[in-house]
Amino acid sequence: MLSRSAERLYWLARYLERTENIARQVNVHMNLLMDLPKDVEMGWQHLIQINGCKDAFYSRYSSSQERNVTRFLLTDSTHPGSLLSSLSFARENIRTSRELMPDEAWRQVNELYLYSNKQIDAIINRRSRVLFLNEILEGCQRFNGLLSGYMSHDNAYRFIRLGRNIERADMTTRILELGSILLSEARSPSARQYENILWMNILQSLNALLMYRRHVRSRIKDDDVLNYLLLDEALPRSVNCCLFEMADAIKSLPNHNRLPEKLAELQDYVKLIDTRQTTQTQLRVILDHLQSRLGVLHAQIAQHWFLNSTQDQIQSSPKTEEQNSA
Amino acid sequence: MSSIWENYKTDNAYDELMFAEYQPRAVSHTLCQYLNTLNREDIDKRKTAAELAILEMGITFTVYSDEGNIDRAWPFDIIPRIIDAREWKIIDKGLKQRLTALNCFISDVYDQQTFIKENLIPREIISSSKNFRKECVGIKPKHNVWANICGTDLVRDKDGIMYVLEDNLRVPSGVSYMLENRIITKRVFPELLQDIEILPIDDYPTQLHEMLCSIAPNPNGKPQIAVLTPGIYNSAYFEHAYLAQQMGAQLVEGGDLIVDDDDCVYMRTIEGHEKVDVIYRRIDDDFLDPEVFRKDSILGVPGLMRAWKAGNVALANAPGAGVADDKVVYAYVPEMIRYYLNEEPILPNVETYLCSDPAHLDYVLKHLAELVVKPANESGGYGMLVGPHATAKEVEAFRKVVMGNPRNYIAQPTLAISTSPTLCKNKLEPRHIDLRPFILQGENTFVTAGGLTRVALKKGSLVVNSSQGGGSKDTWIINMETN
Repeated sequence: MLSRSAERLYWLARYLERTENIARQVNVHMNLLMDLPKDVEMGWQHLIQINGCKDAFYSRYSSSQERNVTRFLLTDSTHPGSLLSSLSFARENIRTSRELMPDEAWRQVNELYLYSNKQIDAIINRRSRVLFLNEILEGCQRFNGLLSGYMSHDNAYRFIRLGRNIERADMTTRILELGSILLSEARSPSARQYENILWMNILQSLNALLMYRRHVRSRIKDDDVLNYLLLDEALPRSVNCCLFEMADAIKSLPNHNRLPEKLAELQDYVKLIDTRQTTQTQLRVILDHLQSRLGVLHAQIAQHWFLNSTQDQIQSSPKTEEQNSA
Repeated sequence: MSSIWENYKTDNAYDELMFAEYQPRAVSHTLCQYLNTLNREDIDKRKTAAELAILEMGITFTVYSDEGNIDRAWPFDIIPRIIDAREWKIIDKGLKQRLTALNCFISDVYDQQTFIKENLIPREIISSSKNFRKECVGIKPKHNVWANICGTDLVRDKDGIMYVLEDNLRVPSGVSYMLENRIITKRVFPELLQDIEILPIDDYPTQLHEMLCSIAPNPNGKPQIAVLTPGIYNSAYFEHAYLAQQMGAQLVEGGDLIVDDDDCVYMRTIEGHEKVDVIYRRIDDDFLDPEVFRKDSILGVPGLMRAWKAGNVALANAPGAGVADDKVVYAYVPEMIRYYLNEEPILPNVETYLCSDPAHLDYVLKHLAELVVKPANESGGYGMLVGPHATAKEVEAFRKVVMGNPRNYIAQPTLAISTSPTLCKNKLEPRHIDLRPFILQGENTFVTAGGLTRVALKKGSLVVNSSQGGGSKDTWIINMETN
């Protein structure tokens, strides 16, 4: 397949995964706030924090109240990391890759985009926001299901798997960061009472609550949750599982050179993490490390297969996320 | 409840569906009767359904405007245009005959030039044509076919006869819209399509694929086929992507291709360089190869002409095929049919006056206000005069233009091109239409059953061009013998 097509499919999958993940975050955060009493110091600013977009947010809005944060994260088209921007980048990438996919895949993304564009005003109110977010989650799942059922599991599909899982692994580390931020801050005694609810919601945001109960079979405890979400070998959104998916896709791709070894090193690194031995500060360092290692992995993928870095020397660096979303 | 046919008045022109007020032609009887059972509300629902389908399927005309990614939905009228299969059989034959003769002519132009030597066309017309490519002299594409894909524009005049208005032999577009129009119609009028036998059109991508395979340099094995697009900013990008997808071909841009020292064309893939055998190019000659044509072009592939001349890659359409896509050359097509095929033309040309001919020029200058005058080499309706719709001042200004460069102008009588009922605010009104069938020629020749019907959505307008507010309709070739 063309290098250009490989790159577009990879980004298509990343943007769509990101779309879904933003919807998850907002959904779960909303539920969490509804569970907690008003005096617990948990606010919307944490969503901005874990997504690493504080500067971008405060350059547009003065306060982190619900209305501003949800608008910024969901429908603000001036923010390239918003749900609507991600969805629209995904749509542009699939529009230019239509010859590689079943037609239904394009229609699914296109319809989801058209739908979202109509809902811009509706998301202000909580009730219609819930409906909107559900529609997004279902739409993204339909897309994944459609590809898994209709599309040849060939190289094109492998690049989609690669993009989806690198984005997913990154998002899981960010959601865990949310947990670590909240726990390491000086908390009031009342907040401490609600730690269980917090961890439950984190599990829920990754659709992992029931799986946790079945597989871990213990009460919800912070280090158990962390270990489960980082290391479990069967849960689709655990970091370990995402890395496995990537390794599996990469090993069947041509010209992968030493990439499988590098990925194996990363898998070993993850396997050695034991959250029972770490402090909250150490945990945050680990999560930071994971994120930057995933960034390096992305650069290696781009260098191996994508057009700009491999053959053309017109652009010296691989197409970065910023360039892609510009 | 009032009928959507209320006050349907055909004007001076031939109407494709109606003889006179409320008198459907035999071929459109079932459709008209069916439309009669719908009230305005019903029809509005169908219209909304069609618009929704167009949006969801992402059928766009201009993908990108200057401001960014604003896509314009394809303008579509739900009321189909109908042609009797018996008439179509003749048109189909006429189109094949015409393209065959045109390809004989192009081969001749780049080879012996007997047509010119026998004074059947003035040499000057060919040597002054900007689409004549001296680089192509002596080349023999497979099956001697230069124009593999042709979109011929047909119009029906007041006399009910279908005339050829022009042949598009460079990079004709519109076929994807023809295919999508049918898909939408199936969604909008499923019950109607059950009752009427309409010739299918959905085999076009298969036929195109077969034609492209038939011109591959090496007929053994499965040729690697690529559709070469100028990219997402081209107004026909949707079509390029659509056709590549439907054929299972690679959609490539110039930057994806490279011509190596062995004069073969390769794609840059994740596995390294992969050889390409056939390129369906949707880029004009001028931009195809900066080594040969425009040096500043970045859309094409350096060395592509080298690879083509060496016979290592097939290009459809072949470079230089546009020499027959000239409104002056058009006037000589009937003569080509007689000369090369020894047959009488089945489809007539519109009467054409060549301003390069002194007697014709004299007539044209005397009758400017009644004629349509067109430059020989422009497309998209630019720089032309429609006499009856022009002011006296415009006519006089054009007189000077024509006299300044007679070679570049032709004139034709203003046709009353036919109309077809079209939905205008919940009511049917006659609107002028044309038809662009697509003809493929490789080892075999194939014509689409019908084609793309374009419709001038503005009342009285004769301009059907999509970029100038035109729309389109589904075209039904109906088999009356079994209906």
